[in-house]
Amino acid sequence: MEREIEDSALSRYKKRMFILVVVLALLSQLVFWEFIRHHPTGVLAYLLAVLPALPFIGIMATYALYIAELRDELVRTVVKTSLLWSIVATLSATTLWGFLELLANAPHLQPLLVLPIFGIFLGIATALVNRRYE
Amino acid sequence: MNCMNNPAVRRYLWRFLATMLLYIAFLVLAVWIFVHYHPAGPLAWLLAFLPALGIIAQIAAFGMYLSEEKDEFMRNLQIQALLWGIGATLSVTVTWGFLESFVHLRHMDLILVYPLYCVLSGLALGIQQMRYR
Repeated sequence: MEREIEDSALSRYKKRMFILVVVLALLSQLVFWEFIRHHPTGVLAYLLAVLPALPFIGIMATYALYIAELRDELVRTVVKTSLLWSIVATLSATTLWGFLELLANAPHLQPLLVLPIFGIFLGIATALVNRRYE
Repeated sequence: MNCMNNPAVRRYLWRFLATMLLYIAFLVLAVWIFVHYHPAGPLAWLLAFLPALGIIAQIAAFGMYLSEEKDEFMRNLQIQALLWGIGATLSVTVTWGFLESFVHLRHMDLILVYPLYCVLSGLALGIQQMRYR
């Protein structure tokens, strides 16, 4: 029974992710096209620039929904532990790089990269935590 | 319940104080050396790492608190706040990133990510506590 709930949570998560990735691709195309062709300014430019961020926020909300739908305590523990380790790794990495930018003139890293960095750490942490609980 | 009666909280506060002092000492030392000796190359990078070590120690101190906290409810509350905090922080960095790319908003220094995360996690914890009151 629990296995079925986990599987349906995972399939719902994948479906939502697929939709959001398609929305992200479409919105990014639209915004790039608008900025290249029409060079918007003022409030419209700000609104357009924020648009591609919305699917990313949706992707995070989808992951939160997936965690909330998990019933198996072990799977939930693995997911939460991995998330906590990736938070530690991301905050450590951004702080280290932040001081390098500030004091040692290291190149500026776009804040846009924080999310993919977190994603990479989450992947590594999930693999390591899974191995620990195997 | 007074949280100071909780030994895990007491130990965390002492560790937090120690790591904060370490951070301040390292920061002052690094800035002083940069101002007076203008180091370059690998030495500059090593010196820039110093204050970051204080922050990383602070994060580790909180991790230790979470592993030592015996109250399951409190621990879950803290973990939920941490997860909401990272969700909110990443939402801000992604939005700021796109604004930086498209409308040339001022560059967000990565050093701000940790304090931003602390503020947002703190807010999330406050909201969670209100919810369960």
